[in-house]
Amino acid sequence: MMKRIVVTGIGIVAPAGTGKRPFWANIKNGRSFVRAITRFDASKYPSRIAGQIEDLDAYSHLSERLLKKIDTFSHLALIASEQALQDAKIDVQKENPNNIGIFMGNAIGGWLYAETELRDLYMEGREGVSPYMASAWFPAAPQGQVSIYYGIKGFSKTVVSDRASSLMAIGYAKKTLEKDRLDFILAGGMEAPVTPYALLCCNSYGALSANNADPQAAYRPFDEKRDGFVIGEGAGIMIMESEERARKRGAHISAYVSGYGATCDGVDRIKADASGRQLARAIKIALQGAGIKPREIDYICLDGAATVDGDTSEINAIKDVFAEKAATIPVSAPKTMLGNLLGASGAVDIIITILAMENSMLPPMVNLKEPVKGADLNFIRDKGVAREINNALVISRGRGGINSALILKKA
Amino acid sequence: MEIETQVKDMIVKLLGLRNANIDTGAKLYEGIGVDSTEMVEIRIALEKEFGVKLDEKEISKFQSIKDIAAIIGSKKA
Repeated sequence: MMKRIVVTGIGIVAPAGTGKRPFWANIKNGRSFVRAITRFDASKYPSRIAGQIEDLDAYSHLSERLLKKIDTFSHLALIASEQALQDAKIDVQKENPNNIGIFMGNAIGGWLYAETELRDLYMEGREGVSPYMASAWFPAAPQGQVSIYYGIKGFSKTVVSDRASSLMAIGYAKKTLEKDRLDFILAGGMEAPVTPYALLCCNSYGALSANNADPQAAYRPFDEKRDGFVIGEGAGIMIMESEERARKRGAHISAYVSGYGATCDGVDRIKADASGRQLARAIKIALQGAGIKPREIDYICLDGAATVDGDTSEINAIKDVFAEKAATIPVSAPKTMLGNLLGASGAVDIIITILAMENSMLPPMVNLKEPVKGADLNFIRDKGVAREINNALVISRGRGGINSALILKKA
Repeated sequence: MEIETQVKDMIVKLLGLRNANIDTGAKLYEGIGVDSTEMVEIRIALEKEFGVKLDEKEISKFQSIKDIAAIIGSKKA
């Protein structure tokens, strides 16, 4: 009998709020948190808007001594991890550290630290570079910092898979727990791309919205006026463990992670394959793993790339899998309110979907006024809609045809 | 100001320590948990401050502030 894997704790640090209560209040009410970037001179960037967190220090529990050694993306991960552990009522000191894992994903690493130190390298030479640079920027740094902070010593993984990074990390966490290799896992993702160089790179590949005049209306997947997505910063971390262990310790179970699938298009270096065939296959693998039929899905949290190939392939994949039911299943892309958190987007979408299940309310998307031809899905727009959600699908994709899908079941 | 006090103040500032009352006779690693990377930062700062060259093998986290001050003092003499 395969172990059933559950979520027992949630930590969220996002433009739409820090902590699950304020975060969910903003999401269900359709409030947009996309703003102009003002923390550096972004005036020459084609896209200069983002979902940003302005009050990170207010939520921080970290010492100055640690903060000077780490990039913002590790800071985000440490705050979200602390929240998740508290939410799950777990005291790490009372657990076996060898049996705790950390499975986290991000797409680009920690650039604010890297940029600052690289500038010093060229201005002052090697003596001007902080020794912490060596360990602050690389994608596995948050995993390392979380393990050091709590003394966690179990099997862990950092997944770097563009925007699909954190959903994949959660998928791997599920597989690892099913094999009974660990007691519990801190799983999710983090991203801090609102920096001069990271924004430049994101702009370079031409998928960002240039609607700077109206930031809150800029991110509009499936809409006639779409022109790309908007970046955002934040972290979403969950505590995952077996149902058996959760019940034994009397934990509150938020949801079951019941199915996971991942595939590659293998077609283009950047663009998704418009047919959506491989995304459909990833969804089918996830459904099979969850042991449910397509008709049992009550809600789909969309990837919502807001590009022609991204939106087209996603619609095609949904129509392929759900056939005549595709037009009626409620779908939305809540990330339109907070920006696309790149490697952290999948984890945040999973958290939104779990909160939606717990609150029996479909989360909305904003800015969809006139769906493009063919986008004849049941979009939940502007405000949450009260509805029981028993099974939900979350889609997360990355550049170059990376597809991942995860199924959640109501607890 | 004597070298020992200067070294102590510099380490307190560099590490962002709230409590400045550190034992100058305790090993840096045992006394305030200085790690290898922090030691690199401390060494570079000391070289700049005192205008001396400090070999990585000469000073380490297994020495005290007193030990390090003595090494700097002997180099400046």
